[in-house]
Amino acid sequence: MRIHFSYQLIVSVLIASISVISCKKDDVDVIDPAVKNSVSIQFENRVGDQKLVLGTPAYKNAAGEPFALTTLNYFISNISLKKEDGTVQKFPNQYFLVRQADAASQVITLKDVPSGNYSEMSFMVGVDSAKSVSPVSERVGALDVTGYGTDGMYWSWNSGYIFLKIEGTSTAVPATVSASQSFAMHVGGYGGGWNGSAKTVNNLRTVTVPMTTKATVRGNIAPEIHLFVDALTIFNGPNKISLATTNSVHMPAAATPIADNYKTMFQVDHVHNDKQ
Amino acid sequence: MNMRMNLKRGLGGAGLVLGLMACHSTDQEAQPEQLFQQPANFPQPIYALDQNRPTVAGVALGKALFYDGILSRDGSISCAECHNQAYAFTHHQHDVSHGIDNQVGTRNALPIQNLAWASDFFWDGGVHSLDLVPIAPIENPVEMDEKTTNVISKLRASARYPSLFKAAFGSDEINGPRFLQALSQFMLTMVSGNSRYDKWVRKEPGGTLTDDEQAGLTAFRTKCSGCHTGELFTDNRFRNNGLFIQGSKDEGRAHVTELPEDRYTFKVPSLRNVEKTLPYMHDGRFYSLEAVLDHYAENVQRTENLDPLLMQTDKSGQVRLGIALTADEKRQIIAFLKTLTDDQFLRDPRFAVQ
Ligand code: HEC
Ligand code: HEC
Repeated sequence: MRIHFSYQLIVSVLIASISVISCKKDDVDVIDPAVKNSVSIQFENRVGDQKLVLGTPAYKNAAGEPFALTTLNYFISNISLKKEDGTVQKFPNQYFLVRQADAASQVITLKDVPSGNYSEMSFMVGVDSAKSVSPVSERVGALDVTGYGTDGMYWSWNSGYIFLKIEGTSTAVPATVSASQSFAMHVGGYGGGWNGSAKTVNNLRTVTVPMTTKATVRGNIAPEIHLFVDALTIFNGPNKISLATTNSVHMPAAATPIADNYKTMFQVDHVHNDKQ
Repeated sequence: MNMRMNLKRGLGGAGLVLGLMACHSTDQEAQPEQLFQQPANFPQPIYALDQNRPTVAGVALGKALFYDGILSRDGSISCAECHNQAYAFTHHQHDVSHGIDNQVGTRNALPIQNLAWASDFFWDGGVHSLDLVPIAPIENPVEMDEKTTNVISKLRASARYPSLFKAAFGSDEINGPRFLQALSQFMLTMVSGNSRYDKWVRKEPGGTLTDDEQAGLTAFRTKCSGCHTGELFTDNRFRNNGLFIQGSKDEGRAHVTELPEDRYTFKVPSLRNVEKTLPYMHDGRFYSLEAVLDHYAENVQRTENLDPLLMQTDKSGQVRLGIALTADEKRQIIAFLKTLTDDQFLRDPRFAVQ
């Protein structure tokens, strides 16, 4: 008797719960952080309102100087996503090198992102100080100091990564400075302090960008965040940079105004939340 | 005996056993108990040996790389070109080093010895880990003028290296970290700690110093050891020893830190094997130890950031630049410095070109 009663109860509870679940599935959006999916971030480099294509002649900066680009590379790291409730999801120990010459490098993918509605993203441009002094055995993937070839994203004489490198040509560069009228700006400097040594210039910059359309990670939604990256801001940001006078930057102190400029060059254009 | 005990502590039992086994099967000449020695009179090493402990095969690979021109653009320049064993691995006859296409740099090559005890590398300390050093000469356009990425590709394509990497690291994968760690393993074993001075300190056979040499040591300890400190003869710091600013007007440490207080400061060099590492100073301006001593005694310049130890105020309140040295003291200090020559190191077949 007692046994029979319990059996009935269990069955009815089961039926009830199944109907509740299926009802939720159809009509209510359950956000279960245990359910994960990936988020991809696309860095679309531009020059003002033009597509950035290496070698294209005569983009123009605020100083009115025409220029063409041969290289634009930058490191992205320490990405974090903030939910609408203010909680922050961090993605430590992931380093990406975005290279204009390599389309595949312009889309980076974060794996295992808990379901949630994310309304803000932040990331560092560069390689944080802890990683900048880590043992070589930990420097793999984008951080392999022997892996950059002619890109040379590492200062061998100053043991530090080049966070952002922009190179090109401009008729504004005096031929007396560079016969080929080329310019090169290399921004690095993680702040020193290694082995108790003095603090040096720190050009690590953290960028925070809001997303008006939230990235809604679900079991069946892997959002794509699409960033516009306006390389013109490297010259036209808060600090106005003229290629006639600033055309060869290879030391951290001189690079600080450039870092302050590119900190403002990223914005989220749109977010795709397509169901898979 | 003392050294042996110390060595075991430094190596750890497992490493020693492993070394012995590897030695037995591959290389009859290698002496595993000498892979990395910590001389009894030396402090604890700074290099994190537990992360990259020299092994017989790792050191053999590092040595092969060190002596191979494949690391340079046109195959002509190996590390050993500028780091010659007979001169404690410096570039003899060259005040500043000559590299590829006979191009000239601005700095005098530093010796490769006792690097496990160094905290920063190069005259300006620009590199903070031994493992990261090789990239600088390889990619320097006036030294080896090659891309490290390309070196790795050339090694992968070579007939010789895959098996050497396999022996050293367990698989024939050739990658950047392994390449750098192998070079470090070889360089770490280049320990110079068997000079007559060392034997004297450790009271070992052959450890005798003449009266002049002992007087020189006493003078050195009062006049020089403020900077050339301890058994490595350096405090591993950056100082301005009052050289006249000339030539390339090298700003030294400030080149890296961009701090005004570092202008014209350079790494205090170790004085081990100094008899053999001429010419002297970051730009190789002095060709003899006599010239160095004359500099300290008579020629110290009051340039920006001159080290306070070289600016003494005497009783009458007069500032005296440099170090007071009599002719006898100079002679005795030089006699003492020559006792730091370690012939065993300079002729050690383990470090010599095959
Ligand atoms: C063209 C000459 C040249 C070549 C080739 C060369 N070096 Fe050097 N090396 C130098 C000079 C010059 C310095 C000092 C540079 C400075 O302080 O700026 C130096 C410094 C060093 C140091 C620093 C020592 C210390 O106490 O700080 C190490 C280690 C070293 N070299 C290792 C190597 C290795 C490994 C190679 C091969 C991959 C190599 N070198 C190839 C010229 C050379
Ligand atoms: C204030 C610190 C200081 C004192 C005191 C000092 N030195 Fe030096 N010494 C240095 C520095 C720094 C250098 C490297 C300078 C450079 O190359 O610009 C150096 C370089 C040398 C060199 C050249 C080594 C090489 O491989 O090029 C010799 C030899 C030397 N010192 C000997 C002495 C002797 C002997 C005394 C005492 C009479 C002495 N030093 C006192 C700081 C000091």
